[in-house]
Amino acid sequence: MANFRRFRPEDLNKLSKCNLDPLTETYELGFYLQYHAKWPSLFQVAEDQYGNIIGYIMGKLESSPDVYRFSEHYLPWHAHITAVTVAPEARRLGIGKLLTEQLEAAADANDTWFVDLFVRSTNYKAITFYKSMGYSIFRVVKDYYGDHSSDPTKSSEDAYDMRKPMKRDVKKEHIREDGEKFEVDPSDVW
Amino acid sequence: MRYGYGRPALKSSVDVQLQTAFSDGNWNSVIRLADKRAKSLKDPYYEAIKVSAESQLDGAAERGAVLNAIEDLVKQKTVPDIDTIELYEWAAGDFIGEEIEYADTLGPLRVKWAKANPKSPLAMGCLQSCLEYWDLVSAQQISTALDKAHLNSGDRRFMFWSITLTFLLSISPQCSGPSRKVYSLLVAKQLERAAEITENTPKVETKDRGLLTEEEVCLYYRVLLAHGNKDDFVKRVRSGGLGALVLLEKGHKLLFWECLDALEPWGEWDLIFDLCRQALRLGVKGVTAPFFVCDLQVWKRFIAAASKAADPEAALREVQDILKEFFAIETKTAQMYKKNLSLALLESSFRLSALAQDSAQGDTGMTPRVVQIGLLLDDCFDKLAAFDDVKGYVSILTFEEAKALVDVILPKMFDSIPDKARQVILKSLICKIRYLLATCPQTLSRHPSVVDGETQSQPYRCRFCSNLTSLPCRHCLQEIITEAAETYKQITADQELQDLIPRLDKDPRQDLALVVGTSLLKLSGLKASSSSASGAPLRDVQPELLLQAILLLDTQLGKTPADNGLRLLLAQLCLLIGTTSYAQQVWIPMDVKRTIQDALSPLFFDRISTLSPALFHGSRPLMQPLRSYYGNSLGNAPPLKIWDAFSSGSYTSILDLSKYDSRLRTSCTLVMTLVEEARATRSFGSKVDIEIADHPLARDIEDDTLLINKTDYGSFPNLEGPLGPQIQEFVRLGPELSNERAHIAFLTEQFFDLLAYKPPKDYKPARPHDAAIRDRNYALESLTRLNHSLANLIHIPSLPTLLTGPEMTHYNVVFLLTSALLASLSTARGDPTPKTLAPVTSSIRTALSSLRTSCYHSCPPRMPPTLFALTDMHTVAHLRETALAVKHSAGFILAFHERELARDRSGKSALHRDVVSEMKALEAVGSKTLAETKSHLQKLKELLGEGGWLDRILEWTFGREEEEVEREGEGYKAAVLDIVGGRDAAEEWAGKMLESWRDGVKGWLMVRWD
Repeated sequence: MANFRRFRPEDLNKLSKCNLDPLTETYELGFYLQYHAKWPSLFQVAEDQYGNIIGYIMGKLESSPDVYRFSEHYLPWHAHITAVTVAPEARRLGIGKLLTEQLEAAADANDTWFVDLFVRSTNYKAITFYKSMGYSIFRVVKDYYGDHSSDPTKSSEDAYDMRKPMKRDVKKEHIREDGEKFEVDPSDVW
Repeated sequence: MRYGYGRPALKSSVDVQLQTAFSDGNWNSVIRLADKRAKSLKDPYYEAIKVSAESQLDGAAERGAVLNAIEDLVKQKTVPDIDTIELYEWAAGDFIGEEIEYADTLGPLRVKWAKANPKSPLAMGCLQSCLEYWDLVSAQQISTALDKAHLNSGDRRFMFWSITLTFLLSISPQCSGPSRKVYSLLVAKQLERAAEITENTPKVETKDRGLLTEEEVCLYYRVLLAHGNKDDFVKRVRSGGLGALVLLEKGHKLLFWECLDALEPWGEWDLIFDLCRQALRLGVKGVTAPFFVCDLQVWKRFIAAASKAADPEAALREVQDILKEFFAIETKTAQMYKKNLSLALLESSFRLSALAQDSAQGDTGMTPRVVQIGLLLDDCFDKLAAFDDVKGYVSILTFEEAKALVDVILPKMFDSIPDKARQVILKSLICKIRYLLATCPQTLSRHPSVVDGETQSQPYRCRFCSNLTSLPCRHCLQEIITEAAETYKQITADQELQDLIPRLDKDPRQDLALVVGTSLLKLSGLKASSSSASGAPLRDVQPELLLQAILLLDTQLGKTPADNGLRLLLAQLCLLIGTTSYAQQVWIPMDVKRTIQDALSPLFFDRISTLSPALFHGSRPLMQPLRSYYGNSLGNAPPLKIWDAFSSGSYTSILDLSKYDSRLRTSCTLVMTLVEEARATRSFGSKVDIEIADHPLARDIEDDTLLINKTDYGSFPNLEGPLGPQIQEFVRLGPELSNERAHIAFLTEQFFDLLAYKPPKDYKPARPHDAAIRDRNYALESLTRLNHSLANLIHIPSLPTLLTGPEMTHYNVVFLLTSALLASLSTARGDPTPKTLAPVTSSIRTALSSLRTSCYHSCPPRMPPTLFALTDMHTVAHLRETALAVKHSAGFILAFHERELARDRSGKSALHRDVVSEMKALEAVGSKTLAETKSHLQKLKELLGEGGWLDRILEWTFGREEEEVEREGEGYKAAVLDIVGGRDAAEEWAGKMLESWRDGVKGWLMVRWD
């Protein structure tokens, strides 16, 4: 039913199964191509037997700029999951998990300390999913999102910055047990 | 030093006063101060500052001075100053690509500098600048210089930049044919040398000039594929140092995939079989992650290769053995892979059975492959993709096998399910499979096409129901409708079931409604657009069934608004019946924006100006999101993010980005955007900002450019068999976008631009005689070019299958008009009457007349005339366009004639009197047709203003209320009414349709008719 492979730009013509879903954001062309240009092995897709893209993950490798080296918010070399999505018809088959595992393998291959991602604090389904994969909350970014996904009376929503340590972090120095208690401002997040 | 597209920094030696004036943009001061410094210091850099500052002034002479300065610099033999180049590049920014070509001026200057200073960090800036203007020739030369200068630096990027750019040049139109050959040899040789180093060196180090990373190896294979031969490629794929499996073992899958892609068209099945076997075994042995290459595509290729082996049976058995090993690996593997394995098993069963040629086991049809389908469905029938997974296999079953599946396996499966919710899911899947089989030819047997001397309209006998029929079997479709509707009703009536639905992947009623809807569409007689290119799309359709289908799908969408497949289908159907504003309401919630527009926008916007120009009169320009998408994506010369790929060493991404950029610049959707907007602008008589051929987005479109259609139909809910036309073919108004249609529409807009051209009001030529000759020559040249280009397209034999009937007539008339205008303008008053003119004008009149007949006199008996008129605005639009083209063409010639008469009292330069009278006659025909068409629409508007329309629409849909007793074989009408909630509930829908039709007609009366 599916193939996993590296993203190719022509896949952008076959995104409808994923991107017509209101939960999946559609970006400008340059955004997708930037990931393909800079981190091609971290942009993976799942395609069905007809060539439709039924899931994809976009990730990057980075660390905070050197100027922040002595800041408490400094992020060492790590992989970041920018987007992961699975088409409605392809859910409950483990595709999201497989894509995430592939990105983690690439993160290990690039000797990163951890993989991180941001998720809305009310997206319980996603939080449970990431926790089941070994991610934990590292910190809470207050009012990170400029809208609220479930409460129209609110004008913002917190993000959880979730992390999973990679092989390099033998001593588990880059995760914490009680991340929910560490609150930061969006300006602290690089 | 450059700061993006901003101002460059001046040399640090420049004094503060001048620096400040420059950074403040105080150009007059800069000019004065720089001039002073140039004179006193005798440093030409200050002259460059002065010229650059002048380029910021308004005067044309000052602005253009930098071009002369660049020209002088190019001519100099000495190495130019890099800061001067930076300044000039910034100052000439607006002229590059217009007045000067970067590759002829600044590019070579940068090359000269970089070659003289290859170790300077600024040399890399020179490379970047050349890439920003996509000057590959200069970029390649700089990269070669950088590579030579950094041979022992350990930075491998320089070597591979040079190789990548040499390769890009070898396949680029920037390079002439012979040079391309040289570059292709060069790049192949460079990489071959690198490959040999890797093959022969135990451990390649960073400093070695071998191939080290996945990107480098994949680049090598891409070049080998483009410039090498098959034998070299195959040899390398098998090799121990750089073979496809070597990278796989290191955890890199890209090369393995690309090798399989390359080998398949060459028919290298033995090698494919071997590679797949070894790759899959790596997983079993634990060398790679177990399911690393366990993709369906890999299995399919493995199985296809096995079936072509010398002993296919043994090879397929080996495939099945490996499959068993995977099944045995672990039970906790992802569902996705389990499903891939099951599908691979199914695929291998089909291949094995094809070998045995005994797919039908006696009369029972219970063959291993049917049993395998049953087992797979047993496992995953409740998953959303279950139908798509088996569709391809079910559609190639023999009739006996299909019957066994439908009559034995599926009912048995149904009976074994204790859970009510899962039962209805299976029931809806069964309905879908039955529909699929009804569209497959093997379920019919040939019946004599002539019986007792009479031709039979139903040349087949359905093997399921034994009725005489055509494809698909009407009787079976009716049964399917009844059954699906029954299940739908069962769910709606059962509260317990409804409570269970939120726990399911999907409300089964969505699929059931889809089965009923598509069956109704088929029963209505709707034909695939590729098979009914001529005439109104609904000419042979039973309107009541089509309207019932739309009503039903609309009702279902109201209940399950997140179903995008249904939404796409309904939007297309609404366009088809002319309820365009409602189609837009259905379309908008899908939020098609940004990147997905190129693939999805044609589903709504193609031909939209011929359906409802009123949509262009909204608060926001209709095509603006598309225009801005293309503007943002293609506004600059180089492919987006190309430097990111260079600086990251992503060599395959560089090639991909370049290829995708070329594709996007030649997108049919892009041309559609320009054409639809131009047509709408003309319709409302608005001023055209820029002629279509001069539009910046059209700069890559030449007559011989292959325009590419990449419309994404992937989200359409397709129940059709994969071998026949898909559902989008049935519900689309006419053939899809194509290279030919895009070109012919683009040329037609150029023709209208030529007719509409008027010189500026204050233009008074000093020598009117010369100006008149120039104008005439320009018109003749343009018409000759258009006539030639249109002739090439019009004479393509397959063109009628790529256009709707009205489009074909319209474009043919435009072509004939270019011929008529050419003949008219090139015949002097004293010459004999041009022989070609009369037949051409006669053909134009005939074509116009046939369009009029299509519009006003061809309503089929079973179609209510008003409904026919409302659903065929596409023909009306082309009648109007054609009449306008005729009228404006004649007006163009007559205006020319009048101008010449006014200018040259002798009358010698005026046109031939026969030409003039012919054109006057054409103008009259055009005007009359326009008036007639407007009056037709006016009457339609008045008619729609009358009362009683809701009843009439319901009558079109269900017949008269008092006649609602079913006709024979129409037992499904009641079922449809049940699903939609009865006739009263349908009234709301009728109101929406009426409103939309009214909007459309009102919009047509807003366009210009003179």
